[in-house]
Amino acid sequence: MKLSNLLAPLVYTPCKLSLRVLLSLSLVTLLTVTSLAQVNGLHAQTPEPPEGSYSESQAQGIDRMIMCPVCPAETIDQAQVEISFQMRAVVREMLADGKERDEILAFFVERYGKDILAAPPKTGANLVAWLAPVGGFGAGLVAVFLIIRSMSRQRPALVTAQPVQDAGLIPYLELVDRHLDLTRGGTSNQPSYSVESRGTDVPEQSEGQTGKEGKG
Amino acid sequence: MADLGAISLWIALALAAYSTVGSVAGKLRLSPALVESAQSAMYAVGLALMVATLSLVVSFISRDFEIAYVAAHSDLAMANKFTWVAFYAGNEGSLLYIATILSIMSAVAVWRAPEKFKDALPYTTAILMLTLTFFVAVMAVMANPFDKLPFVPLDGDGINPLLTHFGMFFHPPALMAGLIGITVPFAFAIGSLLAGKTGDEWVDAGRVWGMVSWVLLAGGLLLGSWWAYTILGWGGFWFWDPVENAAFMPWLGITAFIHSIMVQKRRGMFRMWNIVLINVAFGLALYGMFMNRGGSVPSVHSFGASQLGWIFLLFLAVGVIVPFAIFIWRYPLLKSVQNLDSMLSREAAFLVNNMLLLAIAFVTLWGTVYPLLSRLTNDEEITVARPFYDQVNGPLMLGLVFLMGVGPLIPWRKAGMASLRRSLLLPVVGGLLTVGILAALGLHKDYALIAFGLATFVTTGILMEWFRGTRSRRRNSGDNYVTAFCALIAANRPRYGGYIVHLSVVMVTLGIVGTSFFGVQRDVVLGIGESTTINDYELAYLGTVEVQKSNRTEFTSTVQVFRDGELLDTLRTKRAFYPSFNMAATAAAIRSTPVEDLYVVPSENLPDGSVGFRVLVNPLIWWMWVAGPVMVLGTVIALWPQKIQAPAPARPPRRFAPGPRPSAA
Repeated sequence: MKLSNLLAPLVYTPCKLSLRVLLSLSLVTLLTVTSLAQVNGLHAQTPEPPEGSYSESQAQGIDRMIMCPVCPAETIDQAQVEISFQMRAVVREMLADGKERDEILAFFVERYGKDILAAPPKTGANLVAWLAPVGGFGAGLVAVFLIIRSMSRQRPALVTAQPVQDAGLIPYLELVDRHLDLTRGGTSNQPSYSVESRGTDVPEQSEGQTGKEGKG
Repeated sequence: MADLGAISLWIALALAAYSTVGSVAGKLRLSPALVESAQSAMYAVGLALMVATLSLVVSFISRDFEIAYVAAHSDLAMANKFTWVAFYAGNEGSLLYIATILSIMSAVAVWRAPEKFKDALPYTTAILMLTLTFFVAVMAVMANPFDKLPFVPLDGDGINPLLTHFGMFFHPPALMAGLIGITVPFAFAIGSLLAGKTGDEWVDAGRVWGMVSWVLLAGGLLLGSWWAYTILGWGGFWFWDPVENAAFMPWLGITAFIHSIMVQKRRGMFRMWNIVLINVAFGLALYGMFMNRGGSVPSVHSFGASQLGWIFLLFLAVGVIVPFAIFIWRYPLLKSVQNLDSMLSREAAFLVNNMLLLAIAFVTLWGTVYPLLSRLTNDEEITVARPFYDQVNGPLMLGLVFLMGVGPLIPWRKAGMASLRRSLLLPVVGGLLTVGILAALGLHKDYALIAFGLATFVTTGILMEWFRGTRSRRRNSGDNYVTAFCALIAANRPRYGGYIVHLSVVMVTLGIVGTSFFGVQRDVVLGIGESTTINDYELAYLGTVEVQKSNRTEFTSTVQVFRDGELLDTLRTKRAFYPSFNMAATAAAIRSTPVEDLYVVPSENLPDGSVGFRVLVNPLIWWMWVAGPVMVLGTVIALWPQKIQAPAPARPPRRFAPGPRPSAA
């Protein structure tokens, strides 16, 4: 199934946890992008009917894209005034004539101007309207990522700001770290109290040892 | 009465101004007596405004049409209970309402302020009173509810018929109180900055008052949706109207704030960020009040429109720029005492949650201003309405629901694999199972599948937490499950109250997804005796009764509902025409069940007795309205004062063990 495929990496991928967080974030991004690709947005969609026949929900999808010209901020789907009744009838007539959704919308744009559409068209300069939120969201993701990284670096930076004078101390420092359960088996020659190894290679922690950096 | 009201307004103005100046002067010149007197003045402002409120109420009840405001918003035919609504039906009255609420909230907040905050309190008082001075001054000078007409009309214009609905008794006042309520946590934050108290002294008051505003806004939004659903006659409840957005954005801001303030409370982190957030929320609240009072975008909420817009815009500019200047001034002092340990921690989840909430607010704001931008830069008229917001905000909201499931289950500081597996496995399995089962049952809308999966994910996580906590508490104390469950909730109210609120958000999600993806709508014209079908319902229109009332003509149409040939229900829908407003108000007949609503509303009455109906089947929307009380309950539990409050930093950092620990018992 399409969806479970989508979600599978989140659950089964045997990768590092931070990567999984990124994966889930990217899923959210993916959703944003795919949603933009959907023409009908959140509204009910039905499969393509044969020429000249149309479904009511298809017509309603179009109604919801057209503003009522005389009432503030309402679509013809909502507005209960004469002109919106007539415009709804026009939509259905055109659908019955075999016109496509885009043709019908173009017809109304020609008559009333671009602001008859309930959302900016995804073309030309108006693409900005759609891309700015995606850009903003992406910038937000990056910002949060950077904030988390810089915040998690602060304290170790204080420690590593003074370089270890005596290289002979390193094994002992590693031993201390291991006792604090910060490393898994001390496989590298790098001093394992540096940030990188902490941030990315987080070993599993047992429930019991909660107090190692406890404030209290 | 008019004179008494007007005089108390001016007294309130003088007192509020004195309280502002006195607090600051007293603080700067180290004169406790002056500070004391300024504080007493603040309490007195509350009294003066209550007198003004009372005199307007009395004027309404006695239908004192010499007062322009009373004449404009009531008439002799109006039932007395609608005084409550008429009071805030226009600008003048709603300003008085807002000012009175702010004065009461200020008094309570300052009176209950924690001892450790005392040093900064005069600044907080000054900020509260400065805001109040603005509102009272605008009211007294530009929109005085006690202005008199040069003559006394025989009858008033009457109340806007759309407002004579039960939902209107609570929706506007809750929203207005929520918007102005954000001033209180804002004043605590900026007050502590001004005093140089850049630690966590303000956090408790900020959290409590943030939540008060939050629940008022959330309740107001839900009530407004419910009102739109039952009376506006198009079958929906939310359509991203500019004024809806204006109330929605501060709610997003304050939601981000009440989450992130918990991180500061527990971990001493995000100090700058919380100040930024409350500034943003306050700015958005001011923007909301500006939009509601003659903003420059067309909206259905235009009954509050006036020329006050530009004054509010000015106040908005000051209210955003000055706090940020103070923030930048104090920036060097705002240092977190803790560091973030890991990407996989509750702190990080909170940050992402904040980012998503702000992203939604940004999208909403962007959609609101884009038409203006387009007009200025492209010289092109563009509308941004519902399809835009649905498509862009929909996925972001799903992301929020996902985080709502993850956040509470992931431990503070740093999550290990084992703990994550332990706490997330069951919810993830539950969510995937839901998706699988629904897909197997033939549900093929990806969005809806994801949403239902996420809803199960969140719900499973919460129920699992409850179950584990109850079980271990029962094991420790030997109580039965019910007692153990109650004790569990009582032991950590903020946490379990929060879970209840999360459940209510899941319920709202169900309602939104159900109606957006599975709603069916028909517009039909039925003659007497004719019938129509929608899904498996058959509706037969029996006829309409027309009644002339003093200010309106009411058409009551009767529709019988059948399913499988069996009579299910008889629905009566109403449509009233108000000649003096040239406006029709409808009341939908709704057959509501947890599975789906059958919704019938008349859209036009034709001369031959036939009626244009709009008929809808709205699945799952019942859950959305039930969510309101659940949400309030959760918030009350979360806010209920705990008798023994262990100082947060003294507790060992919470790993992932759900339920009570010895320290919480």
